[in-house]
Amino acid sequence: MTTAEQKQEPEFIQYKYPRTQHYWHALGYQTRAVEGFKQGKIMATKCSKCGRAMVPPRIVCPECYVEVTEWVDQGQRGKLVAAFKIGYPMYDRRTGESQVWDKPVVAVQMEGGALLDGWCSETDLDKLKPGLLLEAVWRPEEERIGAYDDVLHWKPVEK
Amino acid sequence: MAERIAITGVGQTYHKSKRKDVNAPELVTEAVEAALKDAQLTMKDIDFVVSGSFEMADGQYLPDMWILPEFGGVGKPGLKLQNAGTTGGVAAGAAFNYAASGMFNNVLCVTWQKMDEGQGAFGRGGGGLSEYWQSQIPMSPITNFARRTFAYLHNSGCTEEHFAITRVKQDQCALKNPYAQLKLNTTVEKVMESMALVWPIRYLHMCPSTAGAAAFIVSPENQAKKVTRKPVWVEDWFCAHVGGAFTMAEDPTLSTLRHGCEVVYKRNGITNVLKDIQAFEVYEPCSPAELRWMEEVGVCEDWTAWKLMEQGKVGIDKEIPFNPSGGVTATNPIGATPVIRIIEAALQIRDDAGEHQVPQTVNRALATAYGGQGENVIFLLRKSL
Repeated sequence: MTTAEQKQEPEFIQYKYPRTQHYWHALGYQTRAVEGFKQGKIMATKCSKCGRAMVPPRIVCPECYVEVTEWVDQGQRGKLVAAFKIGYPMYDRRTGESQVWDKPVVAVQMEGGALLDGWCSETDLDKLKPGLLLEAVWRPEEERIGAYDDVLHWKPVEK
Repeated sequence: MAERIAITGVGQTYHKSKRKDVNAPELVTEAVEAALKDAQLTMKDIDFVVSGSFEMADGQYLPDMWILPEFGGVGKPGLKLQNAGTTGGVAAGAAFNYAASGMFNNVLCVTWQKMDEGQGAFGRGGGGLSEYWQSQIPMSPITNFARRTFAYLHNSGCTEEHFAITRVKQDQCALKNPYAQLKLNTTVEKVMESMALVWPIRYLHMCPSTAGAAAFIVSPENQAKKVTRKPVWVEDWFCAHVGGAFTMAEDPTLSTLRHGCEVVYKRNGITNVLKDIQAFEVYEPCSPAELRWMEEVGVCEDWTAWKLMEQGKVGIDKEIPFNPSGGVTATNPIGATPVIRIIEAALQIRDDAGEHQVPQTVNRALATAYGGQGENVIFLLRKSL
């Protein structure tokens, strides 16, 4: 085969579809919260002026517009503020597929003051009342990935 | 110094869940032609165009590129805006600002949503903000309001029946509005029996998806007086947006509506809301929201709106003329919805609302836009300045 013939050989770049698309997001100062998840801790920043604890953490308080430098471990328990239960297969943003969500979602006010959302192990909706004491149930330490859902769900604290 | 400005013409489509008979440009043109006819102007008179739709719900990128040429919007200065639920709110605000600059005679604001062609799944759960912080739980307008509704139930002491009573009131208003989409003639029982979409939000509590468009024309004082005998003056507008990523930890009992209203009331000397404002068109994406919004705009004390609803004090010809058009729960072409609120408020001031006209004289009306997980735009319109 001559060089000229070789040049005529078509060259293909191959992509297989469908394929998984990965996105990368820099977390910046929030990395401290990621490290917290790996250690089984929920870390929030706390405004020195108004005392607001923030998850996701922010380094500027949106109300006071002051720099926030204090990090506070929010503890493992919190009180139920609101709850809802998805009643139909809803789109999972991470896979692009619709799926049935068995557990209700709760908004939890942590001991440290931060307000955050999570799944709840209690599926009897009549039992979900404001003030219900909940405790974080974590993924086993060796399986944690430094993500928000290293907290698998929130479990009512047995009296 | 900004010019005083007035709305000189309004137009909207007859809203439906599907408009298979027309394409998007034709649909939008229906609203533009209605607004031009109302102001007795032609596109030659328009010298600035603000357009807006929520692209994700249109299922199209840059839909304005094939919609504007259809009604003669090409070659004129203008801009396109989109901001999810408040799209029409920011588009209207921009149109007001351009008119108030005094640089343009007739500014056209046109907004639309043809949701029969778009990605309806968005409303059922695709909305979210931070990939890292918010992707593990499906967030949508419905889950957002489910959270708020739970908080309302427990803070106010009302029952689910009160949400159904509110839905029936909204439906009764919509039945009198020729442009409204859902006219169910429903009952409290039927609403209570409808499926729990995202408990405690039921299917019949939630707004529909809509194909529709809405447009208005706004002009500086001199021009407005030449164009129409019934100018509707824009007294004030205020955009209250919260930081998006903040909303995950947002208190389900709060939104920015109260803050925005407080600002415009203070600026315009409004001290007694029910006395100073005679008609309200407030963006409520579901029945329970209407109760909380009544409180946040200041027509009653916190956690008491359900009592007024139960007593039958809210409606077109009632003590509290709140959403006489039937509101967003009856009609929701997302991008156009805030402009519909402004149009309905303007019609009330002009005494042109027809069957759903508030019987008392409307000297001032409030219109709002809601979006995202707590953002609001507030508008005050006046019969005279």
